[in-house]
Amino acid sequence: MNQISQSDWAPLTAQEQQSETLASKPVSQLRETLYQFSRRKTAILGVVLVVLTILFAVAGPSLCAHTYDEQQLSYVSVAPVLRVYEVGEKLYYVPTNGKLIEVEDGCLTNAVRSKREDGKNKRFVFELEGETYYLNYRNSPFTLEDTEGNELPTRRVLNKTYPLGTDGLGRDILVRLMYGARISLTVAFVATLVTLIIGILYGSISGYLGGTVDLVMMRIVDIISSIPLTMYVILIMVLFGNGGLKSIIIALGSVYWVDMARVVRGEILTLKKREYVAAAHTMGSSTWYILRKHLIPNAIGPIIVTATMQIPSAIFTEAFMSFIGLGVSAPMASWGMMCNDALETMQLAPYQLAFPAGAICLAMFAFNFIGDGLRDAFDPQMRK
Amino acid sequence: MLRFIAKRIVTMLLTLFVIMTLTFFIMHAIPGGPYSAGKRLPEEIQAALDEKYKLNDPLYVQFFDYMNGVLHLDLGPSFKYEGMSVNDLIAQGFPTSATLGLLSMLFTLALSIPLGILAALKRGKWQDTFVSVITTFGVTIPSFVVATLLEYFLAYRARLFPIYGVAEWKGYVLPMIALSGYSLAFITRLMRSSLMEVMRSDYIRMARVKGLSERQIVLRHGLRNSLIPVITVLGPTLAGLLMGSFVVEKIFALPGMGRFFVQSITNRDYTAIMGFTLFYAAVLIVLVFLVDIVYCIVDPRIQLTE
Repeated sequence: MNQISQSDWAPLTAQEQQSETLASKPVSQLRETLYQFSRRKTAILGVVLVVLTILFAVAGPSLCAHTYDEQQLSYVSVAPVLRVYEVGEKLYYVPTNGKLIEVEDGCLTNAVRSKREDGKNKRFVFELEGETYYLNYRNSPFTLEDTEGNELPTRRVLNKTYPLGTDGLGRDILVRLMYGARISLTVAFVATLVTLIIGILYGSISGYLGGTVDLVMMRIVDIISSIPLTMYVILIMVLFGNGGLKSIIIALGSVYWVDMARVVRGEILTLKKREYVAAAHTMGSSTWYILRKHLIPNAIGPIIVTATMQIPSAIFTEAFMSFIGLGVSAPMASWGMMCNDALETMQLAPYQLAFPAGAICLAMFAFNFIGDGLRDAFDPQMRK
Repeated sequence: MLRFIAKRIVTMLLTLFVIMTLTFFIMHAIPGGPYSAGKRLPEEIQAALDEKYKLNDPLYVQFFDYMNGVLHLDLGPSFKYEGMSVNDLIAQGFPTSATLGLLSMLFTLALSIPLGILAALKRGKWQDTFVSVITTFGVTIPSFVVATLLEYFLAYRARLFPIYGVAEWKGYVLPMIALSGYSLAFITRLMRSSLMEVMRSDYIRMARVKGLSERQIVLRHGLRNSLIPVITVLGPTLAGLLMGSFVVEKIFALPGMGRFFVQSITNRDYTAIMGFTLFYAAVLIVLVFLVDIVYCIVDPRIQLTE
């Protein structure tokens, strides 16, 4: 037997102490996920875009001078970049309705009516500053000519009254885009929330109880998902008539939970065989308690990822519905509806289509980026 | 095999029955008759119309009448198109939609499989990045936006294609591209990840050990197994293509089923909505079923009796 010497009782040096502790502090799952998420540039870009969209939707309308349903019939289809004619000191913009719009410092000040129409030569006659000018509508776009038939000099100025122009009914596109963003975001978040609640409940009950209950519940899901979800949404929208935002949210929420239910069931099926569930069961925990405290929190990763992936899908479906005429009712603005309205005048005013279409694409990009980022952040296999 | 098929057919019939019942009762739950949307009709005409379309019968009688019709493949008369039955509408629109759907499917496969292979083999190189940028665009940009962009730039500006209609074959090109966007991106991604997975497996290493050329390894050993996940999604993809054709047909004014369907929604033509839904569902279910059978034949590891 060895003798215990005095030196064995001496305190450890700092270095020796350190070698006994773990290499690094344990990191919580949330922290780790957030860290992984923040390393992806596209994911950060997605978050920034979404935050900007929310600001745009919430604060935007109060900063604008116009409302979404205010129609200025004199200023129909005015472009965001004005091609103006110089008539003496003044600038005139030529819209598509045969009038002239006086432009001062980028602001639309006044619509001028023509004195008479010269139908034979396809032109309107204007008296400006005491001289006669002709608005020739034989050409596309229309041209403003002097009495000798020469086109007046032109210049391009930014439209300050309507930064993104007006639509075919003379409504401000910028404000309508903001209201469209409200619709899209509301639909996205509320529908996703509804799907989350129904999907988690349905999936976890089905997965945990198993047996006949599971069989019946999953057969129902199979039947629902055997035809495309869009079709059900259309049917439900037809049932509610043009009830606007509410009916679109009900339609989406009542159908989109199917995917979530499948994901949750799959997770619960593997998780419920774990020892800690058996332990909880032995200690007499109720089914609901086990689901709430043990199973669902452990399945949270795939749940969040699925929910995030459903947001762009919901935005898309809302736009799709509005586009085929089943969305929110006029005069309320939705991106899909704005695209549909712009379709007829696409050749004359492509910007009317470009802005809402661009907005839809940006929102889809942003949420998809976030979804991809979260998926990779939650998936340990993706980490290097 | 036979037992599997019989079981699937029973499930399919059950699904169709549920869908029929659902659409029937949803359509009949809508307040107001099919004629109340437009201007008010005189009472006698309303009564005569109700009589003609048997709208006065109790709901269950109407339901059994409808079911009887469906069993005889008769989807009933259209409420809006005078003298046309829903069958006529489908017969008119389906050829165009089917042509468009199949063309898009072929286009999707012809592009996405080579792109997926390219991305998987050149993983991390610029080709991979290029493909991933394309697929991101394909997944995020909605088909109606792609369709309108194509129409504006290629048909209206460049005048390379007709703006609407399918009077000539060129009319199919733009709708086909617009429709394929999403599935193209989806299948490319699937192909890439699936081939990457297969290329890591033991039998590929074995093939390498045998000294086969890279080309032989990919084409003869890698590709076959990596195509299986692609086959699985063919059914749902075709379904998606058929659904997507709603808007694309509307934008390019193609005389297909999608356009009739959208019109019947705006017209509140209830029998047409019911008929189209049922027909779509039937087509999709049968397609998915066929794909499943092909899938089982292609991959002997999958057991049919399950």
